[in-house]
Amino acid sequence: MLDAHVEVRRRAFTVDVTLQVAAGERVALFGPSGAGKSTVLETIAGLHSLDRGRIVLGDRELAYAEGRVRRALPTWRRGVVLLRQRAALMPHLNVRENLTYAGSADAARLDRVVERLGLGDLLDSRPRRLSGGQAQRVALGQALLSDHRALLLDEPYVGLDAELRRTVTDVVAEMVAGRGLPSILVAHELDDAQDFADRLGVVADGRLLQLGSPHEVVRRPASRQVAELVGYRSFVTVQDERGPAELAVHPQAVVAGDHPDRGVVLRGTVTARRPHGPGFEVVADVNGSAVVCWLPALPPTSAIEITLLDPPRFAREGVAAGTPALG
Amino acid sequence: MPPRADVLPAARLQVARLSTVATIGAGVVVWCLLLAPVGALARHLDGAGIRTALHRPDALDPLRVSLESAAIVVTVLVVVTGPFAYLLARRRLPFPWLWEGATLLALMMPPLVIGLLLIFVIGPLTPFGRGLDHVHLSATNTFLGLVIAELYESAPYFILGAQAAFESVDRRLEEQAAMLGDRPGRVLRRVTLPQAAPGLAMAFATAWARAIGAYGAVMIVAYHPYGLPMIVYVTLQESGLASALPYAALLLLVALPLPLLAYAWTARARRAR
Repeated sequence: MLDAHVEVRRRAFTVDVTLQVAAGERVALFGPSGAGKSTVLETIAGLHSLDRGRIVLGDRELAYAEGRVRRALPTWRRGVVLLRQRAALMPHLNVRENLTYAGSADAARLDRVVERLGLGDLLDSRPRRLSGGQAQRVALGQALLSDHRALLLDEPYVGLDAELRRTVTDVVAEMVAGRGLPSILVAHELDDAQDFADRLGVVADGRLLQLGSPHEVVRRPASRQVAELVGYRSFVTVQDERGPAELAVHPQAVVAGDHPDRGVVLRGTVTARRPHGPGFEVVADVNGSAVVCWLPALPPTSAIEITLLDPPRFAREGVAAGTPALG
Repeated sequence: MPPRADVLPAARLQVARLSTVATIGAGVVVWCLLLAPVGALARHLDGAGIRTALHRPDALDPLRVSLESAAIVVTVLVVVTGPFAYLLARRRLPFPWLWEGATLLALMMPPLVIGLLLIFVIGPLTPFGRGLDHVHLSATNTFLGLVIAELYESAPYFILGAQAAFESVDRRLEEQAAMLGDRPGRVLRRVTLPQAAPGLAMAFATAWARAIGAYGAVMIVAYHPYGLPMIVYVTLQESGLASALPYAALLLLVALPLPLLAYAWTARARRAR
């Protein structure tokens, strides 16, 4: 169990995130670049000092800061390994020596990791000969083969193709579950975060805005800000039986036609259309708001009816009118 | 995309070729000027002269004195100022500008002036000199004085070189090693030193060449015992250029191989990464 309350002052804002990650659980922090996600990981790993808060891993306190009282275990005693966005491999060691750097893995475990990550042909190469994706896999292997008690991943998917992303996610999931490690992934792509996570947190300006199941956070964003971050592109003002409200429109959670049984039906006029994936992106003017939706086929006329599938509803102040569950 | 050479207009192509030729020509001139003294030495040395000069019974004493003193100096530099350079590179010392300023000052000061000022610090009438006198030692005109003078002349080169070498090490690698469980001493041994090694080797070799060739401060603080630079000067004064040349050749012979080796190794190590 990793229990972290991290407060770190930065120039523009204070990063203030509280998070519990159970043994074997995978939590993803998602948010725009510069939101403070990496700072949280680096502080847990001991690369940043804590300005206020407490970090506990298992039965050990890694860091504590409150007023003048400051305690911190040095990085090398924390047992936390952080896989960084740009792989930090030792240039003077070959891949095999890099993989076994921590010296805690036996031959069988090394063989397994080498096989899973497809590193067999690279064992004698120096890091400078590796492509970005290969270096990233070696760094992951190195992290997995070290004797750590928590695994932190900072944008590990950058530069990896879809198949490798899948492999990395699978390998990490196996290791994390098998060894009962708490793990946190940081991503600025929602797909990566959802793919990885048991629970998904949305971070912006140093604050954890919402934490919940990957599906729930996207389907039930707690605020308009979260909704915008997780991909809701349009907001439509409506007046329903509960009063004035805004409905958030996710381009993918829209179907053409009038289906009152499946959600909220809107009527508008098509103002723009362009190809998008296998279908089309259609922009419609609904009561003066531009609504973006992705439809499999172009509407036959410029007058359009669309159904928002169970859209999040915000009272006009911008807070969800329903009660979104905070994890 | 940069324009391709074969689509350049003829005139511009001509200019480009001319400027390449001019650059190479200038390089050759600079190179010849730099190597001219070495060439002159090779041309004016004659076997008979070397034999006469080096066949005197105590002829090789200056060589021994120079080798021993320079060896002590580089050892002291590595052991004492190496960690200092590391702390300087890692910004772990309070008032870093003060330390860097002092090192630069020592680097910029003419060696002759260093020698003059050293007399006020380690001369026989100073507290340091009197302290040495209690244990029947002296730092002027002694081997100890020679070592101290060489130390002052070479230390700034080593400190600045080593500092730059340590600064060139990627901090992320050290952090990575720490996250994989290495305590600071192991990080130093497994990451920092191997990464800084090429730069450290260059700093070491430069310090060696400075120490063994030290003359300005040495002449004032430790005229005796003669090291190679002093014997070159003294022989020149007493018996003329021809007699001094063999010692000059000897000095180059012991001073240069280490820097050249260090350079070759550094270049190879940098290419290999």
